[in-house]
Amino acid sequence: MRPLKWERSTGIYLLVFSFFLLVPFFYDNRTILFLMTQIFIFGIFAMSYDLLLGFTGIVSFGHAMFFGIGAYSVSVIIDRNEPTMGYLLLGTIVGIVIAGVVSLLAGLLTLRLKSHFYAMLTLALAGLFLVLAEKWRGVTGGNDGFTMQIPEFFKDRGHLYLTCLVSLIVLFFLVRRFTQSPTGRVVMAIRENEQRVESIGFSIMFYKVAVSVISGIVASIAGVLYILSLRFVDTSVFATDVTLDALLMTIIGGVGTLVGPLIGAGLIEVAHHYLSELASVHWIFERWLILFGIVYILAVIFFPRGIVGSLQYMWAKRSAKKKSSSKEKDLAS
Amino acid sequence: MDLLLSLTVNGLATGMLIFLLAAGLTLIFGLMDVLNFAHGGLFAWGAYSGVWVYDLTGNFFVAIIGAIVTGLLLGLLTEYLIIRPVYGNHVQQILITLGFMIVLSEMLKVVFGPDQKAAQPPAFMDGSFMVGDVILIKYRLFIILVGALVYAITFYILRKTKIGLIVRAGVMDKEMVQSLGINIRLVFMLVFMVGSALAALGGVLLAPYSGVIYAEMGMEFAILAFIVVVIGGMGSFTGSLFAAILVGLAQSFMAYYYSDLSLAVNMLLMVSVLVFRPQGLFTGKG
Repeated sequence: MRPLKWERSTGIYLLVFSFFLLVPFFYDNRTILFLMTQIFIFGIFAMSYDLLLGFTGIVSFGHAMFFGIGAYSVSVIIDRNEPTMGYLLLGTIVGIVIAGVVSLLAGLLTLRLKSHFYAMLTLALAGLFLVLAEKWRGVTGGNDGFTMQIPEFFKDRGHLYLTCLVSLIVLFFLVRRFTQSPTGRVVMAIRENEQRVESIGFSIMFYKVAVSVISGIVASIAGVLYILSLRFVDTSVFATDVTLDALLMTIIGGVGTLVGPLIGAGLIEVAHHYLSELASVHWIFERWLILFGIVYILAVIFFPRGIVGSLQYMWAKRSAKKKSSSKEKDLAS
Repeated sequence: MDLLLSLTVNGLATGMLIFLLAAGLTLIFGLMDVLNFAHGGLFAWGAYSGVWVYDLTGNFFVAIIGAIVTGLLLGLLTEYLIIRPVYGNHVQQILITLGFMIVLSEMLKVVFGPDQKAAQPPAFMDGSFMVGDVILIKYRLFIILVGALVYAITFYILRKTKIGLIVRAGVMDKEMVQSLGINIRLVFMLVFMVGSALAALGGVLLAPYSGVIYAEMGMEFAILAFIVVVIGGMGSFTGSLFAAILVGLAQSFMAYYYSDLSLAVNMLLMVSVLVFRPQGLFTGKG
């Protein structure tokens, strides 16, 4: 382990996070707190996606299944037993284990092959889980889903808000620590040039599978929190829309930046919230997915760095310019 | 025995439908190295436009032509707008075509309405033959026939004609073919259009087979097509045919004996291929 280095960005993140920590103590608006909670949950989810797409260059089209696995594990276990903290913890652990095993298998099967295979297998697997949730009515309640009781502590929306935010902060710094660790550097090198990393002697397969598992586990935690905020589960947690949301958040926010997906999650969730209200104005807003799809396509072609990525690029270019101009001055004098 | 035979015919017909979808996919992938996740969307558009034309004209063959024309036009549009900016970059291709898939299936709901639509086979193909005690449904035999025909024609064009030679040479060395005075970009665009037309043909043939069409069917069948392409070997045309028939038969028998597991059995086939023969049952182009 390298000693932890204090970076300026860490301070900025802490400052922003502590601002959000104080919000529920001053501003107790039901709708806004709920919206913010959703943003934190999908922020975690999008962050887990960025670990795959942005840091390792793996495209998954079935990320919703990890989200759904976390969601169903917790809700089934709580519903069958009692809504206590103990069973919540048990459900979370079960979700994490299942998500870990599924992502391990998916990774082992396809990550030695070309990038298409992982995308196709995860898409098909997510389809399988969706069918399973629809057909296995005795456990999942089928299409209708079911509502459940949750531990008393989380019924307070302030508590829930803080829980989601603290989870986000903890996971953010853990994932960031991972990406800055030597292992994380190898992972990023794989994204840049796989053959070269392999020829240096690293086992690419091991690193890719490891990232796939970590990403799946983090996504399942997002699913658990999602259930706590809704107190209701149905098959929509496995839908392609959920994966698409994660994709959009990551791409628009900035691939491979970790902060980008959080900002993307904020934008997309706010857009969801207001666009669904617009549906009563004009029917075309019921089909807001078209709008998202078009924005997404344009972003892939024209704005591949995303918001944070573009800002970082501009910043790097400016400081490079400054450096070269100061060098010229040194030479002149 | 009768049951086995009719399950086999069902399986073959489903397999041929999947083959039509997978054929376009594998053609585009094998020849152009582009994995098109929007393929299912083209399939669904073929189904909707075909049914629309059929309701308008009442002629099944005009409906098929209508679907093929839709497929060609959408293929042209897709290649020009979506694929051309991202040639050579796999990750971007995968990402962008999934986005286009969403747009295509949502556009279906805007144009044709969000509800599912009924579709009937034309009168002269409704009904069945009786051979001894076996009931053979006419429309299913027709699908098997069309599938076999499409396979034969495509195989002939790719293997025995000059166009096929140019396409195959273009895959091997783009610049060389270009320098011989052949517009390889145009050739690739045509390949993409033909692939899309095959998907649309599959869509319009599926409509009377399943009886209803809906916007999400694109994604459902696309997953089957991906499974087929993995099993058959990516880019192998003959492999796709065999894998599609295999998947069709497995699904037909599974649906009869243990209906809940029919998607699972396909996944199982795909997983075992990935474990034991990751390059697919057939390799090479052709």
